[in-house]
Amino acid sequence: MAHVDLRTRLFVRTARWACALLVSFGVLGAAEAQEFDYDPNRSPALRPCDEHRNRGRTTEARTCYEQLLRSSNDLQVQAEAAWATGDVRRANELFREVVRADEKAVRPRVRWGRLYLSTHQFSDAAALFREALEIDADDVQAQLGMARLLSERFEGDARSIVSEVLKKDGDRAVGNSLVEAHILAARMDLDDGRYESAERSLERALSLAERTKQPPLEAYALLAALDLMRGDDKSQQRWVDRALEYNPRYGGVFEMLAHYEVMRRRYREASEWLKRAVDVQPDRWSAQAEYGVNLLRLGDVKGARQALERAYSGDPFSAITVNSLRVLDKLEKYSVARASSPDIITWLDPKEADAMRPYVEDLARKSIATFSRRYGFEPQQPVTIELYPNHDDFAVRTAGLPGIGLLGVTFGYLVAMDSPSGRSAGDFHWGSTLWHEMAHVFTLSVTDHRVPRWLSEGISVFEEWRTGPTPGVAVTPRTLDVFREGKFLPVARLDEGFIRPDYGDQIQVSYMQSGLICLFIEQRWGFDKLVALLRQFTRDTTTSTAVEATFRMSPADFDKEFATFMRERFARILAEPKEWERAMLAAHEAAQKEQWDQVIEPARRASEIFPDYTLQGSTWLLLAQAYDKTGKRPEAIRTLQRYRELGGWDPGALRKLADWLDEAGQSEQSAEILNALILIEPLDASLHAKLGERYQESGKPHEALREYQVLLALNAHDTAAANLGIARAFQSLGDRANSRRHLLEALETAPHYRPAQDLLLELNGKPTQ
Amino acid sequence: MIVARALLLTFALAALPAHAALRVFAVSGLGGEPEYERRFQEQAQAVAEAARKSGASPENIVILSGERARRDALEREFTAFARDTRKEDQVAVVLIGHGSYDGTDYRFNLPGPDITGPQIAALLDRLPAQEQLVVNATSSSGAVIESWKRPNRIVITATKSGGERTATRFAQFWIEALTSPEADRDKNETVTAEEAYAFAERKVTDTFKSDAALATEHARMEGGNPARFVVARFGNAALMPDDAVLAAMLQEQAGIEQRIEDLKGRKASMDRDQYYNELERELITLAQLDRRIDARKAVLTGPSAGGPDGTR
Repeated sequence: MAHVDLRTRLFVRTARWACALLVSFGVLGAAEAQEFDYDPNRSPALRPCDEHRNRGRTTEARTCYEQLLRSSNDLQVQAEAAWATGDVRRANELFREVVRADEKAVRPRVRWGRLYLSTHQFSDAAALFREALEIDADDVQAQLGMARLLSERFEGDARSIVSEVLKKDGDRAVGNSLVEAHILAARMDLDDGRYESAERSLERALSLAERTKQPPLEAYALLAALDLMRGDDKSQQRWVDRALEYNPRYGGVFEMLAHYEVMRRRYREASEWLKRAVDVQPDRWSAQAEYGVNLLRLGDVKGARQALERAYSGDPFSAITVNSLRVLDKLEKYSVARASSPDIITWLDPKEADAMRPYVEDLARKSIATFSRRYGFEPQQPVTIELYPNHDDFAVRTAGLPGIGLLGVTFGYLVAMDSPSGRSAGDFHWGSTLWHEMAHVFTLSVTDHRVPRWLSEGISVFEEWRTGPTPGVAVTPRTLDVFREGKFLPVARLDEGFIRPDYGDQIQVSYMQSGLICLFIEQRWGFDKLVALLRQFTRDTTTSTAVEATFRMSPADFDKEFATFMRERFARILAEPKEWERAMLAAHEAAQKEQWDQVIEPARRASEIFPDYTLQGSTWLLLAQAYDKTGKRPEAIRTLQRYRELGGWDPGALRKLADWLDEAGQSEQSAEILNALILIEPLDASLHAKLGERYQESGKPHEALREYQVLLALNAHDTAAANLGIARAFQSLGDRANSRRHLLEALETAPHYRPAQDLLLELNGKPTQ
Repeated sequence: MIVARALLLTFALAALPAHAALRVFAVSGLGGEPEYERRFQEQAQAVAEAARKSGASPENIVILSGERARRDALEREFTAFARDTRKEDQVAVVLIGHGSYDGTDYRFNLPGPDITGPQIAALLDRLPAQEQLVVNATSSSGAVIESWKRPNRIVITATKSGGERTATRFAQFWIEALTSPEADRDKNETVTAEEAYAFAERKVTDTFKSDAALATEHARMEGGNPARFVVARFGNAALMPDDAVLAAMLQEQAGIEQRIEDLKGRKASMDRDQYYNELERELITLAQLDRRIDARKAVLTGPSAGGPDGTR
C-alpha cells in the first residue's frame, strides 16, 4: 500500500481522461504555409507576383517571382521571392542577411518568423517574433505573428494578443493590417462555437480585404466553415464557389472545412474535403499530410501511407508527416486479428499480442454488449482497437506529434490507446481506459459524430463510474475546489473547457464536470433521459436547444439544478475541505511513523468526509493497513472491499486484498480480485500463474487454459509450469491430444518435474507412487 | 547446449557420492547510506544462508561486511580462503555494494581504501579450484568482466560496462534465484548459474519495465560453463547419501537424461509423432526411476526437507 506525501497527492489518475478527440485539431493548421501577407507595407515590387499567386496563376506567379529574385536589389524582396518559389533554404539565408545588416529591423524578423512558422519550426519562429517585439513592442505584425503561432499551436493566450491589436481598429496608421486580426479572431470564435462573433469578425475582415485589395480567400474559407457548422449547406457552397472563382487552385477552402469536420469528429467528411483540397491544389502539402493522418483515423493504412508519402515529397520538414510515416512502418509489423460476434479487429505489438489479445477482445465484447443494451444501438461496422507499447507512437498515430498527455483516443469505430506495457505499473488502468473509449464509439456512432465534446466525454466518464471495471465516482478534490469557487462552466459553454482552456487543468476539470452532469441527469431524471439527451444530437442542434428539448428547462435553470445536486452529493467535503485535509495529513503522518493505532481515527474521519477519494494517498488504504497492523484483519478486508467498490484500484492494495481473502478462506472472492488485476497489470506472469491455478482448482478449465496460454505467451522464465497448466486444462476439457502434447513439452524442458511426471504416469495408466 | 548438458551430467556423476565442497566468499561493501549498508549486509547474509541450505558447511562460508570488509582484511581473509580451497572444490565469490569506474580502473568501494579491479583479479587467481564463479553485483562492475574471466571461471556482472554507475538491483534477484524454486527452470531441484543468471536478468529487466524507467543496468555473463555450476539445491537434490544402490540408480538416471538430450538434438530432423512417442517412452522410464530414487533417499536419510512434488 502506498504512502504519499500530501504535497504530491491527488491527481495521479486525471491524465487518463485527458483523452479523446481533442489533440488533432491543433496540428492541422500547423502545417499551413503562410499564404497571405496582409501587411500594407509589403513591398510593391511583390504585388504583381502576389496577385498571380493569389489568383491561382501558378506558372505566371513562379515566373514573376523568379524574375524578381534575379533582378531585385532588395534582399528582403529576394527572400520573399525565394520563399514564394518554394526555395525556403535560400529564403532563410536571405532573411538572415537582412537581419544581420540591420539589428533593429522589425519587419524582416517578423517575415523570417513567418517562414519558420510555415516550415514547422515553431520555437525559432517564436524567438524571432519575440525579438521583433523587443525592438518594437507595439508592432502589429509581430503581435499577429505571435498570435498566429499561439493560435495554431493551441498554446498561450492568442486571444488577448488579438484583442489588443483589434483595439487599434480606429488607428489609421495600423489600418489594413487588421484583416489578419479579424481572421484570427474569427477562427478562435469559430473554434469555440461563438458563431455570431465569428461572423462579425469575418464580415469586417472581408470588407477590409475588398476595400484594400487584399486576398479574401481566408475569409471566404472561414465563412464557408461557419456555414458548415451552422448546417447551412447552400450558403457554404456559395463561399466555396466564390473562393474558387477568385482562385480555382485554392485548396485552402476545403482544408478549412476539413479542419472543422475534424473538430467535430466527422472524419469521413473531413477526408472528402481533404481529397478535394489536394485535387484542386496537389502541392498543398499541409492538406496532403492531414489527408494521410485523417485516413489513418479511419483505419485506411494504405491510403494514409500514399497521402503521407506525397506530403513528404513536397514538405520533408513536417514532423507530422515524418512521424506518421515512421509509425506506419511499425504498424506494418503489428499482429492483426479479427474476432467475430461482435466484429472486433485488434492491432497489437507482436511482442505482447498473444498475451493481451484475449483480454482486449473480452473487455471489448463486454463493453459492446453493455452499451448496445444501454443506448439501443448496435455497431454498424467492426470496431478496431490498437494498443501501443510506445506512448510516442500512440501520440504520433493520434495527432502526428509525440508528447501528448493522452491515454486513448477514439475516431469513430477506431480506438487507439497506450498499452499497459508502455506505462509504469499502477499508474494506468488499461481496462478503464478501453471502457471509456468504447463508450465514445457508441456516442459518436449514435449521433453520426454530432454529439458535443462535453457530452461524449461526460458519458464516457459516467460509464467508467457506472458500468466500467472501476465503479465509483472518482472525483478529484481539485474539481470540487473549482466548483466551490463557482468556476464550473455553464453546460451550454462546457465545450470551451476542452477546446480553449482558460487555466492549466481545465481540460481535466471539464472531463469531471461532464461526467458529473451525466450522473446528475441519471439521478434526477433517470438514465433514459441521458439517452434522450444524446439522441437529440442525431440531428444538428446545440447543447442549449438539446437541454431545453430534453428537460423542458432553460440551460441556466439546468445549471442551477446541477449546482444543487453537487452541493448535496458532495455536501461534507464541500463543507469541510480543511478538516478533510487535516485528517488526511494526520493519518499520513501517523502512518509514516508506523503508529498504526493513531492512523485509524483520522483515516476513518477523512474517509467519511470524502468517501469518493480513492486516488493516490487515499485514506481507505491507510485505514486498511492500520486495521491489519493492529490485528483487525476482518475490518482491513472490509475496508479494502469498500475502497474497491468506490472505484479504488491501486494494484498493491488489490494484491494485498487477494492475499487476505485467501488467508481468510474466501478463495472465490480472492480470484475475483486477481481477475480485476488483469485489467491493470496484464503482463505480470505471476498473476496468470495464480489465476490459472485457481481456475483449474475451481473447475473452470476454459479460463485456466486462457491464463496458462497467456503465461506461455509472456515467455515467462518457467515455461514448464505454463505447459503443465495447459496440459491439465486440456485434460479437463477432454482434449487428450493437446494435453499430451503440452505435457511432453513441459517435460521436454524439465524432465524431472514431479507434478508433470505424475500426470504423464496417470495418462499412461502407470502408478504414480 | 547439448555439450554443456552432457558435461553437466558428467559433473553430476563425478560428484557422487561424495561431491566436491561448495565454498563461498561473499563481501558486502561500503553502503554510504544506512539504507544501503543494511541492504548490502542482508544480501551477503542471504548468500551465505542459501549456500548453507545447498549443503555448504559453515567452515566453507566466509562473509565480510562492515568494518570486517576493509581492504587489508579482505586480502587477508581471501588469501586464507584460497589456501584452504582444493582443486576439486567449487568456489563462488560474491561482491555486493557500490563500484566505481573512472575510465581506467574499477574500484569496489570498501570502508577505508577501495580495492581495485586488478587487485581483486590477483586474489581470484590464487584460487586453485577448477570450478569458479564470481558474481560482481556492484555498479560499474561490467568494467572488469573481460579481465577477470578465465576458462574455468564464470564471471557475472550486474552491468554491461563501467559506465553503468547507478546503484544496481541485480544482487536482490540473484539472491531470489538462490532461494526460490522459481529459478529452477528444468525442475531438477538444482539451480545452475545459468538458470540463476537468466532469472535475475529477467527480473531486473521486468522491474525497470514495470517502473517505466530507463534501464540503468544490463547484466553480463562470461566464461566457464554456467550450465554445470550448481549454485543452489533444493529438496532431495540437497541430499547426497553415500550408497551404492543409489549410485547405480543415479547412473541409470544420467543415462536416460543423456538419451533425452540426444533425442532433443535430433528433433528437427525427426517426424513429429515419432519424436514425441520416443520422448514419452524415455520420460515415463525417467519418471518411474525418479520415484525409486526418491524412495531410496527417503530410506537412507529419513523424511527429506523437500516434498516430492518439486514444489518444495
